[in-house]
Amino acid sequence: MAAHQGSVNIPVLLVLVATGLVAAIGFSYFFTSSVIETEISSLTKTANLPTTEKKFSVDIRKPIGPPRVLTGLDDVHGSAVTVSCSTCHATREPNPANKVGSDLNEFHGSLSISHGSLSCLSCHNSNDYDALKLADGSRVEFTNVMTLCAQCHSRQMQDFEHGVHGGMNGYWDLNRGAQTKNNCVDCHQPHAPQFPKMVPTFKPRDRFLEKADQ
Amino acid sequence: MSNNAPQEKKYVTLPILGQSSRRTALKVAGAALGLAAFGKADSPLMVIPENVSVDEFLQRHYKELSDDDKRKIFLRLETESRENYGADVTISDPKPIPGVKFGYAISLTKCNGNGKCMEACHKENNHHRGVDQSYIRILEMSKGSMDMEQGTTTYDHAVPQDDKYYMPVQCQQCDNPPCVTVCPVEATWKEADGIVVVDYNWCIGCRYCEAACPYHARRFNWESPEIPSEEVNPNQGYLSNRVRPQGTMEKCHFCLHRTREGRLPACLEACPTGARVFGDLNNPESDINWVLKNKRVFVLKEDLGTKPSFFYFFD
Amino acid sequence: MSSTSVEQNLNNDALHPVRSYPKFIWWGLGVSTNGNLLFFLWMFVLTAVALVGANAWAVQVSDGMIVTNMTDHVSWGLYIANFTFSVGIAAGGVMMVIPAYLYHDKKMHDIVILGEILAIAAIVMCLLFVVVDLGRPERFWHLIPGIGRFNWPMSMLTWDVIVLNGYLLLNLHVCGYLLYMRFLGREPNKSWYIPFVMVSIFWAISIHTVTAFLYCGLGGRAFWNTALLAPRFLASAFVAGPALILIILTVLRKIVGLQIDEGPGRLLINIIRVTILINLLMVVSEVFTEFYTGGSHTASARYLFLGLHGHSALVPWIWTAMALNIIAVFIFLSPLVFRYRAALMIACAFAFLGAWIEKGMGLIVPGFIPSTLHEIVEYTPSLAEWKVSVGIWAFGLMVLTLLLKMAIAVLRHPRTTSE
Repeated sequence: MAAHQGSVNIPVLLVLVATGLVAAIGFSYFFTSSVIETEISSLTKTANLPTTEKKFSVDIRKPIGPPRVLTGLDDVHGSAVTVSCSTCHATREPNPANKVGSDLNEFHGSLSISHGSLSCLSCHNSNDYDALKLADGSRVEFTNVMTLCAQCHSRQMQDFEHGVHGGMNGYWDLNRGAQTKNNCVDCHQPHAPQFPKMVPTFKPRDRFLEKADQ
Repeated sequence: MSNNAPQEKKYVTLPILGQSSRRTALKVAGAALGLAAFGKADSPLMVIPENVSVDEFLQRHYKELSDDDKRKIFLRLETESRENYGADVTISDPKPIPGVKFGYAISLTKCNGNGKCMEACHKENNHHRGVDQSYIRILEMSKGSMDMEQGTTTYDHAVPQDDKYYMPVQCQQCDNPPCVTVCPVEATWKEADGIVVVDYNWCIGCRYCEAACPYHARRFNWESPEIPSEEVNPNQGYLSNRVRPQGTMEKCHFCLHRTREGRLPACLEACPTGARVFGDLNNPESDINWVLKNKRVFVLKEDLGTKPSFFYFFD
Repeated sequence: MSSTSVEQNLNNDALHPVRSYPKFIWWGLGVSTNGNLLFFLWMFVLTAVALVGANAWAVQVSDGMIVTNMTDHVSWGLYIANFTFSVGIAAGGVMMVIPAYLYHDKKMHDIVILGEILAIAAIVMCLLFVVVDLGRPERFWHLIPGIGRFNWPMSMLTWDVIVLNGYLLLNLHVCGYLLYMRFLGREPNKSWYIPFVMVSIFWAISIHTVTAFLYCGLGGRAFWNTALLAPRFLASAFVAGPALILIILTVLRKIVGLQIDEGPGRLLINIIRVTILINLLMVVSEVFTEFYTGGSHTASARYLFLGLHGHSALVPWIWTAMALNIIAVFIFLSPLVFRYRAALMIACAFAFLGAWIEKGMGLIVPGFIPSTLHEIVEYTPSLAEWKVSVGIWAFGLMVLTLLLKMAIAVLRHPRTTSE
């Protein structure tokens, strides 16, 4: 196709633009994978992976709910009387600067926090102390605490979903039986989450095996 | 008659022996005495006919047994278990699941060397209590080095130590197993799902496989296993965790009496940190395949060409 | 019995050699149990020791191999060490066969049967050492091809079963045939034994090569996984075997009073002069390769020669073996061996003992230390293992004595009658 000198070749230009558009759309599609979004939304499902239909599910244990505080009193049946967190916190001003137990005047004073540089209200919800909150302020129930943990510890959550963190019980073959997994706080105490040291109790006692120099 | 017959022949007429010399009579008496002494010396061997029935002695290789043979054999073994250990057990013979090939991976970041996997293996597999036998050995290794010579298995302190990492080693269920190649009687072989098994009633106890294994995976029954009857695991597999006879080889079998029913192996269920991953290598969606794809995985002694089905990774 | 009927019997036997072979064996047994007081004392002691060994083995079968000091770390010990060494002795007999049959050394030809009888006794010991090492010896039948499952050609142990038993049959045939023909006063038919002898020369090399392949084929055991292992085995076998033969020749001369020409002995000494140097060279080659390279592949060599992480049980043993070998080298290379019988005997004993330590315990045990997971568990044989091993040596000596007596009786008096 002959082009007049000085003028732009329109069909070629159109083809180039169209190619560019297709490429742009394709690229953006390829790279748009909001990992955190899909990860968080899949948490609420109990059967998250694998994607093909299986007869049985992966059951993840859930915490029973927000912690209850002992009053020290017993009711008429003899069971301990407990109150919810909001019972006291409804009448107190939240202080976002509080980071450790020693910051407090009364109650929770002996609590030792060893969780990076988090403050209390990084996770606890000042609008409703019977729930937790994400970084954007949205409310998370205590029973869905894994969503909160995964917000920062997404790598560990990804490992967890693929059976590489936290272990499991039951069946590897979900066509024959279910699998049970722990939730985060079953092993990691939220205020001091580092997995505790253990003392080995079972050692090989081979004949003539001497203990190595420590 | 030869010229150098130095002695005069002395003839002693004995009723049965007829005409023979004193020398012959002495030789016969000596031989009889020797035979009697030999019999007495070997009398502990009588334990063989006492403990080994004719059926067990003549039992064929596992691969040659019919279902009827197996039924009889399992019944016999269950009866023996009741007699010897006071435990009622069931012996099963699960076949490999078609299309499945097992793989196992351990996260060396997560493993903290607590040893609960060793203990679970000990209990699940009816191991000899005397030495706290287990198919798993955990090496405490120095960070910054993969040299096992710097590792120990006899550490006795709180774990994990800051400058150490922990590496459990068990049978790697190699795709090119040196132990299978060297067995002179084919008592050990690799099954379709990748597990290398031992027929404990065929093994002659030569321990060549134990010499050949590069991973210290094999164990020998130097004596009859001692297990209190209440600790005997009654769910037993013929090729896996039934109580093994004295003088035979054994090894980790990926808990095939569990895994071939779809269950997780005992060591994985006991691991408190979740460092262990098990699954079907032929299933692209399995956890083990996710590990192989997404983690930096290696195998032990890869240069030996054994092609293990057991993988290690750090996060 | 009158002499004429004896002659008639012999003639009848010569006419029906196959039928009368058992009679010949029975006669051989009779004549080999004749002897003086010293002989009976010797046999009595050997029998007693063998019976102690048999009892120890029977206890091992009933109580389990826990009575040994072997463990899952060091799973082969004194039994396999002795087995390896005995295969070498059996192969060493070929150093008499080659001069006799390939080089037509007449004087050696006269006494070559000693080497073949030594091979028979040594192979019997090998087979016994393997049987006592089995955890379930009553399952021996699992090895029989056709009846059990014989993993040939993959497993080197099956090759070993074939070559060892084949070598035993070869030597039994050659010795039996030659002695029988001599006994009957007939000229042996060359085609009944020469091909077998030729085969046995190559077969002797193969028994020790196959035994070496048992070890050097294992990639997981760096101490054994060397191409030099089979040549080393052969070199040390051709030192220890002829050394033992020289000792036996001296015993036969001095104690039994046999007239043996000095020629074969001189030839054997000259053979040892070469093979002991080759053996030394191979040891040096092995030591250099290990210690110059270093690294974890050499941990076993470091354990053996220097001790490793405070464990050094084998260090005195290997250095003793090295010293014995080097002293033997010096004595053998000097003219002393030709002049003084005592010097020769010392050199032979040192070479034999040095080879036993270096090839037996000094090869098998370090292969397992450190283990494949680099754990160090040491090993010293238990009393039970010593009893069984010495018992088998005693039995081997008994077999050797009886066969030698029978051979000497036939060779001296080819038509000797029984009493």
